[in-house]
Amino acid sequence: MNRKTVALAFASASLIAITAAQAAEVTVWCWDPNFNVAIMKEAGEIYAKTHPDFKLNVVDFAKADLEQKLQTGLASGVADGMPDIVLIEDYGAQKYLQSFPDAFAPLSDKVDYSGFAPYKVALATLDDKVYSMPFDSGVTGFYYRKDLLSQAGFQPADLQDLTWDKFIEIAKVVEEKTGKKMMAYDPNDAGLTRIIMQSAGGWYFDKDGNLAIEGNAALKAALEVVQKIQTANIFRPAAGWADWVGAFTGGEVASVTTGVWITGTVKSQPEQSGNWGIAPIPKLTIDGATHYSNLGGSSWYVLAASPAKDEAIDFLNDIYGKDIDFYQKILVDRGAVGSLLAAREGAAYKSTDAFFGGEPIWQTFSDWLSKVPSVNYGTFTNEVDSVVAAHQPDLAKGASVDDVIKAIDEQAKTLVQ
Amino acid sequence: MTTHGLKKRLASAAVYLFLAVMAFLSVFPFLWMVIGATNSTSDIIKGKMSFGEGLLVNAATFFSQVNAPLIFWNSAKITIIATVSTLLISSLAGYGFEIFSSRFREKLYSLMLLTLMIPFAALMIPLFMLMGKFGLINTHIAVVLPTVASAFIVFYFRQSTKAFPHELRDAARVDGLKEWQIFFLIYMPVMRSTYAAAFIIVFMTAWNNYLWPLIVLQSNDTKTITLVISSLGSAYYPDYGAVMIGTVLATIPTLFVFFAMQRQFVEGMLGSVK
Repeated sequence: MNRKTVALAFASASLIAITAAQAAEVTVWCWDPNFNVAIMKEAGEIYAKTHPDFKLNVVDFAKADLEQKLQTGLASGVADGMPDIVLIEDYGAQKYLQSFPDAFAPLSDKVDYSGFAPYKVALATLDDKVYSMPFDSGVTGFYYRKDLLSQAGFQPADLQDLTWDKFIEIAKVVEEKTGKKMMAYDPNDAGLTRIIMQSAGGWYFDKDGNLAIEGNAALKAALEVVQKIQTANIFRPAAGWADWVGAFTGGEVASVTTGVWITGTVKSQPEQSGNWGIAPIPKLTIDGATHYSNLGGSSWYVLAASPAKDEAIDFLNDIYGKDIDFYQKILVDRGAVGSLLAAREGAAYKSTDAFFGGEPIWQTFSDWLSKVPSVNYGTFTNEVDSVVAAHQPDLAKGASVDDVIKAIDEQAKTLVQ
Repeated sequence: MTTHGLKKRLASAAVYLFLAVMAFLSVFPFLWMVIGATNSTSDIIKGKMSFGEGLLVNAATFFSQVNAPLIFWNSAKITIIATVSTLLISSLAGYGFEIFSSRFREKLYSLMLLTLMIPFAALMIPLFMLMGKFGLINTHIAVVLPTVASAFIVFYFRQSTKAFPHELRDAARVDGLKEWQIFFLIYMPVMRSTYAAAFIIVFMTAWNNYLWPLIVLQSNDTKTITLVISSLGSAYYPDYGAVMIGTVLATIPTLFVFFAMQRQFVEGMLGSVK
């Protein structure tokens, strides 16, 4: 019996096969099997048609897992097993670029960035070098239920140039006439605050990446809007992402203001076809206010230590930097809006959508994409964002915006230092 | 009925109520998981608490997205090797600490127990560099190696060995057995409930191990089931039905091991030598 156990141990040990990945192929890390993983595989297949030796190995991890792995790998300086290309969420880009100088390859010499949405280029720029191949955009839109708004007396033409104050007024009328709330809102999520803030060219950090909470006009104006929305009680409270999505797919609210990536989810309810429209998001009334903003999004980065660096850059540049047809395919198949502005010349971008009453929504979004204000996402966006989210419910309880900003500033300073 | 009897009954009713609530809290996640595996993502999000008809659809999605035989084989391989080698090495160490005395024994032992207080996250980067030096990144050896000398299991075996009768060892010596023979032929069979309890602990830890495999495994073909489930669940629009199928499948081996060895586990925890 015991000898058997020992024998088993040795037998099992010999079963461990070394499966280290060999170079000469381009390895990519990203995180969503139905989105960026599938899109990257598609890109690899297209590139392989003209480069028969090219082999792409796409590895998917959960986003948080990928970040942990990347962090460990870069911090330990072990190049073994690191990918050649990695997907990084835009909000975290500067953190990686600044914490690990020289870890990523600058692409400015190889890629023509004039063709991309300027804000996507700015967020991956450090010391005049650009490090990313811009990928999906979170350009924002105001999605509204035409049927409910027209019942309340508002036609699409009335909704194209809203301010947030006008939005709140409309919301009150909508509830009075239709019994439905204007929007779903989760006070513990600062997404809407970020959207409004960036629409006026502001962020938690200034252009140089320094923390900018007190004296930040865009943040203050955004929090004022968030306070008005909460105190005017024009929202259906949402507890978390799934509940928030359920509110508009379930027809409980009249609008949703968020990134373009929500389009597929909005369209997941065929019985609402024809009832939806899009308009630019409402704007603030401060200097620099626009109707355009962004929520989320990510970009590809090439690791400087990669043995297949040149191949990886050439691949990204050929497909993501130039291939208009590729952008049509990923829009149709995966609902991905890329950041290459020329993609709008393709057939898919020009097509109209019956779900949105026959509007050419992709052309419209592409227009807005080119106008999103550039901001510096800094090194601690996610950290500061969680502080802001934690303080938002205070606004509903009547705390003054100035006091809340002060509290956010104090807490954020301890995190950032 | 006397007041005393009433009080007693009330007290036991309260105890049963408390236990029932606790039992429900423990069982509920399992129930939720199994129900989830039969429902569509939107039903799961809505919090539907009854069985649906999506089991086959969910299973089809899971098996089309995941190379299940390979992934489960990876998990099984790592778990079996980790369990066998951890039990062997850590029990030898625990036995040694208790049986053989030396001037440094207690100091060494305390030092070893101190390592239990260091969180793994703090060891991760140096460990990763070490594995990089050995050229073991992205191998299953790298997953197993750091676990085989488990301070907790060594501690557990030393505590249990205190109950191992010295007379048995002396008798074996008189009969001419060598030290290693005493360990394998006398100690191991006598301590089998201790081994069984340790087996369950080590098996579950290895099967559910997440952070270290995540860091050290780099490609799709070396991943374990825990990593795959995590990655399925983090899509922008996750298919929770498929995630639940994966979770149910990943739970079966632990459940099986636990129920198969439940009796020995309890015995082992109570002290194994009768």
